[in-house]
Amino acid sequence: MSITVLQPGLQTTVQAEPRTGMRHLGVPASGPADPLSLALANRLVGNDLLAPALEVALVGPSLQFDEPCAFALTGGDAESTLNGEKLDFHRTVVAKVGDELAIASVEVGTRVYIAIGGGLRTTEMFGSSSTYMPAAFGGHQGRALIKGDVLETAGDGSTAETLETPEDFRPPISSRWAVRACRSAETHLLEATRRTVLFDTNWTIGRRADRMGMQLDGATLAVSSAGRMPSSPVFPGTIQCPEDGVPFILSIDSGTTGGYPRIAQITRADRHLLGQMRPGDHVRFLPREPQQAAEELQAKHDYWRQWLPGIERVI
Amino acid sequence: VPSTDSAEYPVTISGDDLLSIEVGSPAEAQSLADALRQGGVWREVVAGIGSVAVQFDAAAVSLDSARQLIENALAKGISPLELSDVLLQIPVVYGGESGPDLDDVCDQTGLTAEEVIALHTGKEYRVDLVGFTPGFAYVGGLDDKLNVARRDSPRQRVEAGSVGIADGRTGLYALPGPGGWPLIGRTAFRLFDPSADDPFPIRAGMRVRFVSISASAEEA
Repeated sequence: MSITVLQPGLQTTVQAEPRTGMRHLGVPASGPADPLSLALANRLVGNDLLAPALEVALVGPSLQFDEPCAFALTGGDAESTLNGEKLDFHRTVVAKVGDELAIASVEVGTRVYIAIGGGLRTTEMFGSSSTYMPAAFGGHQGRALIKGDVLETAGDGSTAETLETPEDFRPPISSRWAVRACRSAETHLLEATRRTVLFDTNWTIGRRADRMGMQLDGATLAVSSAGRMPSSPVFPGTIQCPEDGVPFILSIDSGTTGGYPRIAQITRADRHLLGQMRPGDHVRFLPREPQQAAEELQAKHDYWRQWLPGIERVI
Repeated sequence: VPSTDSAEYPVTISGDDLLSIEVGSPAEAQSLADALRQGGVWREVVAGIGSVAVQFDAAAVSLDSARQLIENALAKGISPLELSDVLLQIPVVYGGESGPDLDDVCDQTGLTAEEVIALHTGKEYRVDLVGFTPGFAYVGGLDDKLNVARRDSPRQRVEAGSVGIADGRTGLYALPGPGGWPLIGRTAFRLFDPSADDPFPIRAGMRVRFVSISASAEEA
């Protein structure tokens, strides 16, 4: 069965389990920028938590179901309709033949996820279905959707049951964020007088924000590397600071090595939050020791496991 | 406080699930990374120019036990990756639109464009590292006279095939995207080809020579 793309939205891609074990050849993780929301959507249609689903960024698509199909919406706040009738997020919806799903602009947060019963058929690359646009592989032809695309579903689009995400498991999407961060390998290159600035500043997400990373505005840091730091491994959640003093956070499609000082690392438990931040949002970093971060990760897994068994694969 | 259990190869915490090991050379980084990758316990093992990073599953492995695994591996010593027999000839169109920072590099180094090109094509290099994006190659051994710094702020978009220099190395951009290296030229050499049997024709340890060609030769 298939789904026709009537309007593609700003940047709608197929994302699934991230690519792992390939960073040493320069291949980034990709996958959903907000994996928790993708998993919540897949849960509602009975899929594997990381089955291929659609990630919508800022402006949503219009899709037509060519056969009956179960789907679910999660993530940022966007007005969504089925044949013009308003749709709720966080519940299983069963579309009939010819039904038209339209998602408007995302008003709060950045990304909406659309999971399809049985998942989407994709082209795999290096063991993952996730789209990596810079090298044009994975997902649907290695690119964002365009008008007229026809997406094939992996199953028959059906789902065993209709569900709602319990209230306690609907992550709050906000425009003010607090994320936990550990020191990183070059934290010592931050000039001593500025070291507290990283954690004391109410940062604003800058205009340069995408699946590669996000620039941080609000203060100017100072690092003593003079543009000659040897390129070093970086990861999603790494905060780097170039010589101009304007730091940036790396996201899931970021390069695997970088030549700017690594001044902090968002903890694993909170990296999924990066996928909902948008230009103009405010963010504060909370300092953590690695041991504390490990306990907090455990606590987060224990909580989410109640609704999402297998959460350890997701966040 | 970063741990320095092993004086020779300091191990540093670089995140709640990341450790970084400083080594003496890119060839040591490659060799250590290869050895660690065979251990199978790491989610990612990534070499840099002068360091290796490992990412572990912080839900299953403690930082202390991860560090102990690293110390055990380091205790066996590191024998640097040997130079490959493969010699890649990489054609480059220097300057103009292909190398928008060539004039800047001339200003920084006090050399003419012809001198920069002569120096860059005048020797054989070694691939220190593939990373950043699929197929991006860090080629070591740049002449000291060409030792310029990275741009203060990265460019939002660099074309595929761009040839940059910074910090004693040549960087070959496999894909279009953001980049911070001053650009002196561009190559049509396919650094990453997802449709090929081996998508990665350029690997750490290979030898490289740059050959200056004219823009019209590239079109032909």
